[in-house]
Amino acid sequence: MTSFIDYVLGGFGSGMIIALMALALVLTWRATRVVNFAQVGQAMFTTFIALSLQTLTGSWVIALVGAMVAGALLGVIVQYLVLRPVKRADTSGAIIATFGVLIALQAAAGMIWGGDSRAYPQPFGNTAITLFGREWPVSAYDLVVVGFAVILVVGLTLLFTRTNLGLAMRATAFNPEVARLSGIRVGRTLTIGWALAGIVGAVAGVLVAPTSAISPNSFDILLVFAFTAAVIGGLDSLIGAVALGIGTGLILSVVSGYSDSSNAPVVALVLLAVNLVLKPEGVFGHHKARSV
Amino acid sequence: MLAVESLTVDYGPVRALANVSLQVPAGEVTAVIGANGAGKSTLMRTLAGLVRPNAGTASLEGQVITGRKAEDIARMGVALVPEGRSTVPELTVEENLRLGGLWRSRAERAATQQEVFDLFPILGERRTMRADTLSGGERQQLAIGRALMCDPTCLLLDEPSLGLAPLIVTQILELVKKLAEESNIAVLLVEQNAVTALRVAHTGVVLNLGTVVMVGPAQEIASHEELRHAYLGY
Repeated sequence: MTSFIDYVLGGFGSGMIIALMALALVLTWRATRVVNFAQVGQAMFTTFIALSLQTLTGSWVIALVGAMVAGALLGVIVQYLVLRPVKRADTSGAIIATFGVLIALQAAAGMIWGGDSRAYPQPFGNTAITLFGREWPVSAYDLVVVGFAVILVVGLTLLFTRTNLGLAMRATAFNPEVARLSGIRVGRTLTIGWALAGIVGAVAGVLVAPTSAISPNSFDILLVFAFTAAVIGGLDSLIGAVALGIGTGLILSVVSGYSDSSNAPVVALVLLAVNLVLKPEGVFGHHKARSV
Repeated sequence: MLAVESLTVDYGPVRALANVSLQVPAGEVTAVIGANGAGKSTLMRTLAGLVRPNAGTASLEGQVITGRKAEDIARMGVALVPEGRSTVPELTVEENLRLGGLWRSRAERAATQQEVFDLFPILGERRTMRADTLSGGERQQLAIGRALMCDPTCLLLDEPSLGLAPLIVTQILELVKKLAEESNIAVLLVEQNAVTALRVAHTGVVLNLGTVVMVGPAQEIASHEELRHAYLGY
């Protein structure tokens, strides 16, 4: 029993990071009805930028802020240069195009920073917290990760529900024609959605890097987990993405604990398949699923 | 005043509007009537900037609006209420209203919102409810309210009677007429239901297969028997 609790708790940090990446996927989906498979590529790229900044300045905070700015810019660039022209042709083309962007970003990162794994420095203690006379599988760093995730989720929720920009973004997602007729600059609103997703992805990248390492392909597996969480969460729901992201993290931690961590991706894909059979619109989704 | 001059729209090889010219004076309701496929909706969508015309222009108070983006046309003062009670069902009544005219100042928007609630009291009562819980008539009022929030000088109403009970249609159109006269708005009303539309309109325009076949005082058109038989089918 003790080990079960430990495995569950141990999944919180990684669950939060999956949640953030899922959140980024949901943001682009809500804005443009495109699943951006390049999201982890963008996050990888900005994390390399953060690593360079960290090496240069020695400041974790400057590196994080730099990654966020780069994430926003990269989101805008990808949306503007790739998505806009391709989306005009068709939506499935746009999704394929994001795969192309992912491969291009990985290749570019390999050329700039090399293909080897690099360690990302730990900004805070990574030792287990001792409380009530025992060691818990949670570090101070995990708590920082949780804190960032909570701030981002609360901030985004307030943005969407309390501000004019958030209202414009929701209306644009649900009904672009009515938004346009209401005088909302739809193109600009979509670009802002991609910038926001880029920022969230960049934060997820910088947060996950110290716990693993960073290489051009190191976030690929995160895409599998985040995609699973986002789809099961209903793709449209911020809360769904976060809840299922954390849930996925916990389940994977338990699976890894009792068997082997290499089984985690398989379990994620099984969860995704079961979900698509039983509740294709997602746990938090409102819309009726499209049947093929 | 909205002035349309020689507007021509093709959908591929199909000519939807051919050389359409008409004027929509401020403070009046101008009704465009005609059978299905006459080009009524195309006319509205072109004026709102959702469809690009192949030739011709439309101008509002002398400023050309054709060729601009829909969002810019909305900001210039042309508000379209599209066919089918287009509200955003996932948003609340108040959020649907707030959508209109987000570029205006907070005080201006608050004042207009109060006017909309005065005009359509049911929207005030239902302000926190999701739009998809409203009845058809309420949703039509909401769609018009959203357009009014843009503070339009020209209001385009596309088939507001579609799927609504006749009594509700009459109520809504009477309100629209009052609004046009009191707020000096140029209202262009497109209707298949010619009788109802001509009852509230000052001027009638008969559209057939993309061309204007007659323009005249609404009452005159309503009592023009040959015209009714030929184009309006009653």
